Amino acid sequence: MSDALLKVEGLDVLFTSYGQTRQVLRDISFTVGAGERVALIGETGSGKSVTAKAILGTLPRNATVSAGRIEVEGRNVLELPRGARDALKGSAFSLIMQDPLSSFNPVFKIGTHLDDVLRFADSREGVKSSRAQRRARIAAVLRRVQLADPDRVMNAYPSELSGGMRQRVLIGLALLHQPKLLIADEPGTALDVTTQDEILNLINTLVAEEGMALLMITHNLGVVRKVADRVVVMRHGDIVEAGPCEKILAAPEHDYTIGLLDAVPPLYGPRVQTQKISAQAPIVRATGLGKQFGRHGKRFTAVKDVSIALREGEIFGLAGESGSGKTTVARMMMGLSRPTSGTVTVEGTPNPGRPLAQIVYQNPGTSLNPKRTVKQSLGLPLKYAGLTGAARDARMAELMALVRLPVSYLAKYPHELSGGQKQRVAIARALAADPKVLILDEPTAALDVSVQKTVIELLLHLREELGLTYFMISHDLSLMRNFCSRLAIMLRGEIVEEGATPEIFADPKHPYTRALIAAIPVVTDDEERYKPAVSPEERAAFLVKTTD
Amino acid sequence: MQQNPFTAILTRLGTFVLVMVVLSIMIFVLARVVPGDPARMALGPTATPEQVSALRSEMGLDDSLPVQYVSYMGRALQGDLGMSLLSQRPVATDLAQTVPATVELVLVAVVIMFAVAIPLGVMTAHFRDLWVDHVGRLLSLVGVTIPSFLFAISLQLLAARYFGDWPIIGRMDHGLGFAGGPTGLMLVDSLLAGRIDVFLSALQHLALPAVALSMAGIGQITRITRSAMLENRRKDHVLTLQSFGVPERVIIFRYLLKLSSIAPLTIMGLEFASLIGNAFVIEMVFSWGGFASYGLNAILQKDLNAVTAVVLVSGLFFIVANLIVDVLISIIDPRMRRKEAR
Amino acid sequence: MSEVKMALDGDNKDLSASYMMWYRFSRNPAAVIGTLIVLSAVIFAILAPYITPKPEDVGAVVNFRARHLPPDAAHWFGTDKVGRDIFSRAVFGLRISLLLVIGVLGISVPIGTVLGLAAGYFGGWTERIITGLTNVMLAMPPLVMALAVSNLLEPTLMNAMIAITLLWWTWHARLIYAVSKSVASEDYIEAARIAGAGPMHILFREILPNCVSVISVKTTLDAAFVILFGATLSFLGFGVKPPTPDLGSMVADGRQFMPDFWWEVLCPGAVILYVTLGFNLLGDGLRDMFDMEG
Repeated sequence: MSDALLKVEGLDVLFTSYGQTRQVLRDISFTVGAGERVALIGETGSGKSVTAKAILGTLPRNATVSAGRIEVEGRNVLELPRGARDALKGSAFSLIMQDPLSSFNPVFKIGTHLDDVLRFADSREGVKSSRAQRRARIAAVLRRVQLADPDRVMNAYPSELSGGMRQRVLIGLALLHQPKLLIADEPGTALDVTTQDEILNLINTLVAEEGMALLMITHNLGVVRKVADRVVVMRHGDIVEAGPCEKILAAPEHDYTIGLLDAVPPLYGPRVQTQKISAQAPIVRATGLGKQFGRHGKRFTAVKDVSIALREGEIFGLAGESGSGKTTVARMMMGLSRPTSGTVTVEGTPNPGRPLAQIVYQNPGTSLNPKRTVKQSLGLPLKYAGLTGAARDARMAELMALVRLPVSYLAKYPHELSGGQKQRVAIARALAADPKVLILDEPTAALDVSVQKTVIELLLHLREELGLTYFMISHDLSLMRNFCSRLAIMLRGEIVEEGATPEIFADPKHPYTRALIAAIPVVTDDEERYKPAVSPEERAAFLVKTTD
Repeated sequence: MQQNPFTAILTRLGTFVLVMVVLSIMIFVLARVVPGDPARMALGPTATPEQVSALRSEMGLDDSLPVQYVSYMGRALQGDLGMSLLSQRPVATDLAQTVPATVELVLVAVVIMFAVAIPLGVMTAHFRDLWVDHVGRLLSLVGVTIPSFLFAISLQLLAARYFGDWPIIGRMDHGLGFAGGPTGLMLVDSLLAGRIDVFLSALQHLALPAVALSMAGIGQITRITRSAMLENRRKDHVLTLQSFGVPERVIIFRYLLKLSSIAPLTIMGLEFASLIGNAFVIEMVFSWGGFASYGLNAILQKDLNAVTAVVLVSGLFFIVANLIVDVLISIIDPRMRRKEAR
Repeated sequence: MSEVKMALDGDNKDLSASYMMWYRFSRNPAAVIGTLIVLSAVIFAILAPYITPKPEDVGAVVNFRARHLPPDAAHWFGTDKVGRDIFSRAVFGLRISLLLVIGVLGISVPIGTVLGLAAGYFGGWTERIITGLTNVMLAMPPLVMALAVSNLLEPTLMNAMIAITLLWWTWHARLIYAVSKSVASEDYIEAARIAGAGPMHILFREILPNCVSVISVKTTLDAAFVILFGATLSFLGFGVKPPTPDLGSMVADGRQFMPDFWWEVLCPGAVILYVTLGFNLLGDGLRDMFDMEG
């Protein structure tokens, strides 16, 4: 293809650290034509971000491009001098950064960043512009990304804007010089699902209206379906499969792609799993829970009048976006935090002398002490459960078997384990004290989707085997659809809807629930069709404002 | 959350008042529990027991410690810090004469510190692992490791050897017959009086002690600046600007420098007490007639009123320096402005 | 972003943590030099009576015929005003400096660590009192306080050491407090609490191991500062009693004979610089080894 905007050919990249050299990209080749939307998809370590950095010329110091070409508009950028390469930035291609908070220097105003970018892009092209002219152009671009009050945005420091607004500014930054190619590195991933949905819609609109090409870097297959014409699937530095979006999503050929698609929890359709509703009596009952933070004067209500009856043997899901108060509710249910009002009563039969509930945390990176071995971490609850010597060792072996880890892993430190393995150890530790209830605080949010699948399967299996009750909090409704038997949706500290999971998804009553479900990126057209409809008024009423 | 810089400053001031109160109690108690009778020391060995006990009650030494403390602080707030045993004059008068000399020395040293260390820190970070970096790091390493008295003496040795008539002690040439002026700062007073010769002499006298005093700070601030620059260099926002072709020099000298100046300022505030401590050594070596020299003599002679006053003034120096640092940081960092208001 | 970081650090699972630390340490010439300097200083100090040419010069020996001799083969560092060998005295002075380091840090580091850990983990009034105290101590020029304390009591090495120790713990407490507070908010601390662990276990088994790297770097760098500090005190006349040799007081003695007999100042001064430089290089090397920021 000679008319390709971007052509990557046989790209090899090496990283050198600790005297060892590893190849992180092997023979990467793909093209992006004018006006085409291409997605690079892969899980952790696939090399998708490294590829983007190689194109942009922002690889870290210890990386070397050992072979291959990167052509932008027919010129190999790897052979260009630095100045000429910089000149391409912003005009030939532009980057939409990923993390909206750290992408701006915190001690400079948003407007300063934008003005400098525009000023140097202008001077490279030999255009003279006054500050006022640039300001007008910036304001126009900010309006393009639906920021209605550009002056306020420009005069704000990064920390004074919401995540969604900063992400919009980053998109605006990429548009400043009408680039032909937009490169987007996981835009909106750090944001709530409803905000992310708006951001993706915005990118789609802009790409269509301006006739730009798009290279989207993502780990989410749902995002791919939403924004890409063509897909390049990467794994461990290799391209495993590439092709048109519909074909890859509907009829993937490579085993890895098939497995990846299979691991995505479906929202609707025949693949959906429905968990049985428990008919047993409640094991924990929370009545009229309320929680306020802060001292007098500036009191902030995090949770308001929440009542939940957790039935023995069920998987209860508490869903909500960040700041909805779901974690606070879970902590109060566990007795880790004292409610300002309301009560938590244990109604089931607790294990004698053992804690009723244990918790599995969201981030496997911080739930295990980096300075203690798996054995030490597991030994702690066992020690306080009164087990010593051979009995303790036997129980540890039993726990490791339960979470499907070899006993030899007991001697390892957390940094020697992968994210999924760490989460298994965290589950084993929670199980050590023989609890009746496990609180699952977004247990798979930090994991790749294929790892998520195995952890979820493990949790389901453990529940069968040990007769556990789960209380899960999460923002991931597609996961909860398949994992939870009952569901409650939280918005701003209150439960707005509650019921059996299939019923909620079949007929969501509250507009916020509908907006949440509608925002989830799905991988098939069928699922898209089943999504509930949301009117713009409803969106405006319940979603966090990200525009102004 | 809307900021209110006024409340923020008030809160900080409250903290500082507390620091002064605790500091004064500590030094007061320390000065009163030392072995030896201040009245006896004041009168000398020939005094009769009656004279001693008369002076004791006159000095209030028979009262309980809290009563003594309250009456001392009451008088101190009105400017009466008691009599110095050593000079036989009010301590307040002694301080008024000596503090400006130290202020002048410390101010010039701080200016030298930042003028040298910040560019050095930026350069070493920018030319990381190149010869500029190695030389700069070696210099900063020597700065933090060399004893200040050794550096001061070495400067004197070098000056004596290579610039025979360069003054190595005192604040100015007394042959010029300059009596001083309203501020007590030689550099300012000489200019106010239109005496360029005095100004040059004062500058010449000030150069060596100020450089000697700034050396430790130069070492430390260079290091802090360098590591802050390197750390911030790895942040995403640098990548944002790079990705859009903003030149490296702009990223470094505009974006990174401002962000990376927070850490050295903070350290400056924290370490200001050490700087004052070093001034004691430097003033001694260079016979600089500042309040640190005065304090050193007071400590040597167990002149309790003077010692107490010197410690309190040192604390005050620290507090003023930290107030300035706080203001500067809140000008630089918008996040700090909001945090303080909370 | 995170992917690149992973590719750089996280994927080195096949490398052991100790290998990575050793790699970073051994690739750092400054750290290796620092280690050698500190080791040599410690060996010299321990073996001082056996390896110095004139160990008897440590006492009140007078040898006026040999006074103010410049450095030569017999007297590497020259001789002082009463004809004593400066090299021998300097090595014994080094001994005192290192003893001071052991004494001061041996007491203030554990105290500062325990208080810092407690302030960071318990919060509330414990935190308020301990951080308040360290903030007040910060306002005092350490040198002035040490001078005041040691002189108002009695200007001896012991009192000087007590004075330094009284001040030094606050710096450690501040540092450990910051680490402890951030570690205390980690999920694994809560997990340990849920598992039934008491405060002793959490402070010393869960949080302390995460502070080890910070403590060792800080302690190494502090060794240099304590030596500097002790030398400064004795330079000002608040140290050991003559004729016991001390590096700071040797410089002070030599200062009277400047600039003619420069070696009497510069040689003991160079010994101070040698050992403080060694500890600083070692501390920086440890910091790189633990891959710490700043």
